[in-house]
Amino acid sequence: MSLLSIRDLRTEFTTPAGIVRAVDGVGFDVAPGEIFGIVGESGCGKSATCRSILRLFGGAPARVAGGQILLDGVGDLAAMPERAMARVRGRDVAFIFQDPLTALNPTMRIGRQIAEVIVRHRKIGRAEARAAALDLLRDVQVTSPERRLDAYPHELSGGLRQRVVIAMALALSPRLIIADEPTTALDVTVQDQILRLLRARRDSAGTAIILITHDLGVVSQVCDRVAVMYAGRIVETGPVREVLDRPAHPYTRALIAALPGQAARDADLTPIEGSPPGLIAPPPGCRFAPRCRLARPDCALGAPPALRARTPGHLDACILSEVPDVLA
Amino acid sequence: MSLLEFSGVARRFPLRRSLADRLARRPAAALHAVRGVDLAVEKGEILGIVGESGCGKSTLARIGVGLQPANAGEVRFEGAPLAGPDPRGRIQMVFQDPYSSLDPRMTIGAQLLEVVGHYRPGLSAAERKAAVASVLQAVSLPAEIAARFPHALSGGQRQRVSIARALCPEPEVLVADEPVSALDASVQAQIINLLRRLNRERGLTIVFISHDMNVVRYLCDRVAVMYLGEIVELNDSARLFAAPAHPYTRALIAAVPDLRAPAAGGAPIRGEVPDPFAVIPGCRFAPRCPLADTACAAVQALHPVPPAGLVRCCKA
Repeated sequence: MSLLSIRDLRTEFTTPAGIVRAVDGVGFDVAPGEIFGIVGESGCGKSATCRSILRLFGGAPARVAGGQILLDGVGDLAAMPERAMARVRGRDVAFIFQDPLTALNPTMRIGRQIAEVIVRHRKIGRAEARAAALDLLRDVQVTSPERRLDAYPHELSGGLRQRVVIAMALALSPRLIIADEPTTALDVTVQDQILRLLRARRDSAGTAIILITHDLGVVSQVCDRVAVMYAGRIVETGPVREVLDRPAHPYTRALIAALPGQAARDADLTPIEGSPPGLIAPPPGCRFAPRCRLARPDCALGAPPALRARTPGHLDACILSEVPDVLA
Repeated sequence: MSLLEFSGVARRFPLRRSLADRLARRPAAALHAVRGVDLAVEKGEILGIVGESGCGKSTLARIGVGLQPANAGEVRFEGAPLAGPDPRGRIQMVFQDPYSSLDPRMTIGAQLLEVVGHYRPGLSAAERKAAVASVLQAVSLPAEIAARFPHALSGGQRQRVSIARALCPEPEVLVADEPVSALDASVQAQIINLLRRLNRERGLTIVFISHDMNVVRYLCDRVAVMYLGEIVELNDSARLFAAPAHPYTRALIAAVPDLRAPAAGGAPIRGEVPDPFAVIPGCRFAPRCPLADTACAAVQALHPVPPAGLVRCCKA
C-alpha cells in the first residue's frame, strides 16, 4: 500500500510569455518509511512537483492543472479546498525548504517558532508546547538545547538553523516529509550530519521522505528509490542502486558521465551539449532528443514516450529497445 | 622562482566598535579571514584551494589579484612585490556568479572591447575587434554572441564570457573563485574542460578555488586545504586524495557523497566550522578533531610530508 500516489500530475505557471508546463504528466508512488529521491538539473520541475503536493507556491502564479495526489487515509490533495489543505500541512505532510534562514521568522525566538507549529494543530498549553519544543531540539541533536530555545535564528549557524527547521517539520510526527534541497546551502561536513539525521528519523519513526536534490551523490547516500526528471517529466525511476549503477535512459547516463568524480584525470569530461528545452512549447517526442547523441528521427515524433519497465521496478522513457552504453 | 607567491599574507576585518566598547576603551574585535599564508603558485600548474565557507579561500584569492590589500605579508609576481591590481593585467579573476559579474546593459562585444582597450591601448580598432574575436574563439563561443546582451545567454555561456573577459589582457595567471559552483553538472563539465584546455594549450596558470572535492581532485595538479584562515595541508593532488595527512582533509574527503556506493557506517565529523571571531589557542581544528589531545593546545607549524607535501598537524 502506498502512502502517496501521484498520477499524471500537471502544474502550470502563468508567465507573460505564455503558460509554462513545469510539471507535465508526472506519476510516482512513495511507500511508508521509504526515502524517495527526485533528481534533476535546474528547471526540470523537481521542485514544482513537490510544491504541488502541498500547494506551496509562495505566491507564484502557479496552479495544479490536472492529475491526482492521493495521500493514504486523507484523499486527493489536488482536489482539496484550501482550508482542508491547511490542516494537512505540517500534520500529515511537512516541508523542509532549502534555505533555513528564509524558512524561519527572524524576529521570533526558536522555541516559540517550534511551539507555534504544535499549538496551531493541537489543544496544548504554552508550557507544554515549550517542553515539546525542547524535546524536538534534542531529537535533532542540537547542542545545549535549553539555551537555543531562547535564541533568534541569526544567532545560530547554518547547520543548526537547518536542524531547527527539521525539528519544526517533525513537530506533529508527519507520515511524510518533503525536503527540497535541504543540504544545498550547507558545507559538505554539515551536509553529511543532516543527511544522517534524516535517515535516522526514517529508521526510528518510519517517516517517509521525498528528497529533492541536484546531487546524484546525495541520492546514492540516502535514497531507497529515485526518479530522474528532465523538462517536466520523469525519464527514469527505480531502486537507487539500479538507476545509478545500471542507468538505462541516455539522459541519466549523460548526467553521470558529466561528473568529475567518475573521470580519469587524463580524459576530458563529457558535458551534455545544448540546453534543456523551454516548457512553453516543448519539442515533440522525447524532450531530451535534441541533445541526445543516440537520437533517431522517430525519437522526435508524437507524444513524449511513456515510462516502461526493462526489468521489474526499473522504468525508463527511452523508445530505443537497446540503449548502447555511452559510459563504456 | 615561483610565478605568484604569497608570503605571510594576513587579512583581518575589524568589527565596528559599539559606543560601550569605545567608552571602555576596548580594542575593536577583528575577524581574521587569512592568517599568515605562505603559498607559491608555479608557472603552468593548476593549483586548487579547498575549504568550507569562512576558511578564507576567497579572501586569499582577492588578495592575490590585488582586489583587496593584505594587512601583513606580501604578494610577489615573478619576484616583484605587487601593490594592488597589476596594471598590465597579468593576473585576472573569474567570479562565481556569471549573472552578477557582467554588465546587463552592455553587449558582450562592447564589454570585451572595453577590457581590450584598457589593457592594450596601442591596438587599432580593427586589432581590438580581432582580439575580441580571438578570446571568444578561445572559450568556444560563436562570434555572433558579441552582439548579444548577458540576459540572452545561458549560465554556461555567461561563465564562458567571464573567462573570455579575463583572457583579454593576455594574463599569465587566472584566479577562478568557485567558477562552476552555480552551474548544473552538465554545464559544469564544459567549463572544467575549457579551463583544462586553456592550461594545457596556452600554458595558463590557474588558481582554482572550490569547495567541491570531486572537481578539485579531477582538475588540479596541487591542492591546498584551508581551515579558518590557515593552510592545513598542501600536496600533489593525487597524493593528497590517496593519503590525506591532516584529520580535516580526511574528514572533508569522507564527507563527499559517493555516487558508486551507499553511505558508509563511519562516524561523521562533529560540529561546524566555528565562529571566525572565536579565539582558539593551538590547533584551530582541535575542537572538532577525533585525534585531539593535550599536544594540540600548542601552536602547530606546517611540517613536511615527503616528498613535497606540507601538513599542519602534530599527529601526522
